[in-house]
Amino acid sequence: MKLKTLALAVTFATSGMLASQAALADSHKVYADFPVTVKDYKGDKKHSVSYGGQMARHALHNSLKKLTGKGNGSANPELEAQMLAYFSGKDAGRTIIDPASKEGFKVKQTQIDELSKEKNLAGKTYKGAVNGWPGNMTGPEVIEFMIKKAAATNKGFDPLTGLDYTQLISKFAMGAVFYNQAVDNYLDEKLEADTKPNGKAYKEGTPYTGKEHVWDEAFGYFGVPAHVLTMDAKTAYAIAKGKKDAFKAADANNDGMIDLKTEMTFAHGYYAANADKGGKSDYLHTITEAFIDGRQLITAANGENLTAEQRETLKGFAKTIKTNWEKVIAEAAFKYAGSVYKDAIALQAAVESNADIEKLYRKYAKHWGELKGFAMALQTGGKDLGETAVQLNRLIGFSPVLLGNTQITGIDAEGNYQQANSVTLNEYALNMLKVQQLLKDKFNLEANNNDQLANLSELADKLGSADSAEND
Amino acid sequence: MFETFLTEFSSDIYANFFDPRKRLFVGYLVCALIIALAWLVLLRKQKIQHAWRTCFDKQVWFSASSRADGLIFFINRLLFTFLAPALLAKLTIATFIFQWLQGTLGFRPLIQLADWQIAACFTLWLFILDDFARFYLHYLMHRWPVLWAFHKVHHSARTMTPLTVLRTHPVEGVLFSLRSSLVQGISIALFVFLFANQVDLVTVLGANALVFAFNVTGSNLRHSHIAIHYWRFLEYWLISPAQHQIHHSTAPRHFDKNFGATLAIWDRLFRCLHLSEPNTVLSFGISKTVIPDEHSLKQLYLQPFAEATNIIWQTLRKPRILSALTQRR
Repeated sequence: MKLKTLALAVTFATSGMLASQAALADSHKVYADFPVTVKDYKGDKKHSVSYGGQMARHALHNSLKKLTGKGNGSANPELEAQMLAYFSGKDAGRTIIDPASKEGFKVKQTQIDELSKEKNLAGKTYKGAVNGWPGNMTGPEVIEFMIKKAAATNKGFDPLTGLDYTQLISKFAMGAVFYNQAVDNYLDEKLEADTKPNGKAYKEGTPYTGKEHVWDEAFGYFGVPAHVLTMDAKTAYAIAKGKKDAFKAADANNDGMIDLKTEMTFAHGYYAANADKGGKSDYLHTITEAFIDGRQLITAANGENLTAEQRETLKGFAKTIKTNWEKVIAEAAFKYAGSVYKDAIALQAAVESNADIEKLYRKYAKHWGELKGFAMALQTGGKDLGETAVQLNRLIGFSPVLLGNTQITGIDAEGNYQQANSVTLNEYALNMLKVQQLLKDKFNLEANNNDQLANLSELADKLGSADSAEND
Repeated sequence: MFETFLTEFSSDIYANFFDPRKRLFVGYLVCALIIALAWLVLLRKQKIQHAWRTCFDKQVWFSASSRADGLIFFINRLLFTFLAPALLAKLTIATFIFQWLQGTLGFRPLIQLADWQIAACFTLWLFILDDFARFYLHYLMHRWPVLWAFHKVHHSARTMTPLTVLRTHPVEGVLFSLRSSLVQGISIALFVFLFANQVDLVTVLGANALVFAFNVTGSNLRHSHIAIHYWRFLEYWLISPAQHQIHHSTAPRHFDKNFGATLAIWDRLFRCLHLSEPNTVLSFGISKTVIPDEHSLKQLYLQPFAEATNIIWQTLRKPRILSALTQRR
């Protein structure tokens, strides 16, 4: 009798444990700890997730952004060389300028090479023509052009053209590098059967298969902490800002430091959180879940080549990621179009009342730089946006409309900007409303932060249906 | 496809009686009944049972005219479930006007006022503009022969119940919807242009507070046989149910009077206000002469088209116009 009870108890306990393990595997909440599935792997690694190269590029981008704001107002070849080192250089010894440790927010790595060696941004920048910028240049050419201009400005801003290079470079590079690489490369042709197959190691000796690594690299570019599903958008946002009170949530392994590889929010991860903060959208979690679902599918193939059916499912996850990632960028552009609208109206009013315009103008230019950067980034996803892109580029232009109603129209052979008469500030403000309308319509936006016409639709809803046959 | 249509149709019917933004909201109907009973019992000195029977007079509620009202209501809702998406939306108008205002004025004069002040202004503005638009379109429906051909459907009611408010030819329904979209679109655009995101509407149960007030005070009795009139001075400002019943009267001296919905000021401005006549028993309809089949669907839905076409044709046939069109240059 006793033996029988014991046997039963053991059976129950074992099955219970197995069930809970299965449940744990099914509800993978963290993008980590996926086992090694490479068939003939001989190394001692226990896990196969790896995207250090992507995190190195995030640190390069963050650092480059910091450097763009360091100009002193005159030609500065030293600064230019330093910026280029972070954009196109591969040399060892580059320190991580940002994110750097600060009080209450200690960062584990201080050198780019600690994340990954010999990485740069230029090599992974969108190679197509950038129609949103004058001069008919490729992605890397545009950024290098901007870096050269930025080096000669005072803190990244050129008041004569209204161009804020800090914002332009950062926002465009995020799209041209991270978004482009993820959606137009890893989640695109690299999901095909004959590229980086799952039946082989990615490279000889690596603990991950071709498809595993392709998927990990795409995930790395999104820029979220591996455990982002365990936190809300506000926390993920605060982590990117290096806020003390978000430290505990970020430090997943409780080692008292933020590991930039797995515990930091970067780039579009930050902007997804930014859009979601208001509670109307859930891009951050939708995208991360699709990444985890995809990674689970690949891991479950256990080192075999993916079947056509499995690849179809995987492409389904990829599509979710691509669509939502695009929306994240469009949401950011939408938000800043709203800011530029408000700034332009305020600027016009200040001009008319002879008020001090310096601060307003600076704010206007900053927001414009963000808007422009995101609008250009939207066009680097390898997908032809057609008329939408043309309209966006026309409505926004190559620079903000300046106080004398002029705007940049092109670049001459020496790389100098050409300006010409344009619309008034007020008409330009109207363009921003059209940009918001266009983005809202074409990308089915959900958050619509800073919607300048929100009140119109809210009131329209409130008044109810106009279709009334009431006859008096 | 069919299923979504059916859902939309049924929720539309439902909304007509359960959305406080609609005239036939049950709450307003109950209010109307209470007011009617109070009027009959307290002022007309009827016994309560008698008053109840007066309100629910079978000869009124089950007349051929009232049965036609019900049928028209259903057919129109069916038609509008199809038509509604094709009608110009107020949001489109609001966006267009907002952009036009900013484009032509060249500046945005943001005015600083307290939230409640803006909401009060917006609510009042919307109420007055809407009331005027209702009056003016109604006025045109009577003055232009082509429009009258369609508006006659409403006036062909011989007995009136609250449902008669929806005895409307679909062509007229489209015009009403356009009117409403224009009024709301213009108001929203103008106020958002002036006061940005501060604009709000003062509502009771989701309805414009002033419209709500109009409806709880017995707006549904306008289409009824309970001739509630106001004090004379008040009838110069607000249209009483009895005054609207005069608008439906077959007596020639009552023709083209009292076009107003809530306010009587428009009728005063256009010199067509007529105060109630407490001692006159009215008969309703277009004229005293009864046309056979006047409540048949053919008569109600198709006859207006025939008449309108005829009017247009007659106008074109006038030699002056025809020769102008065919004249060689």
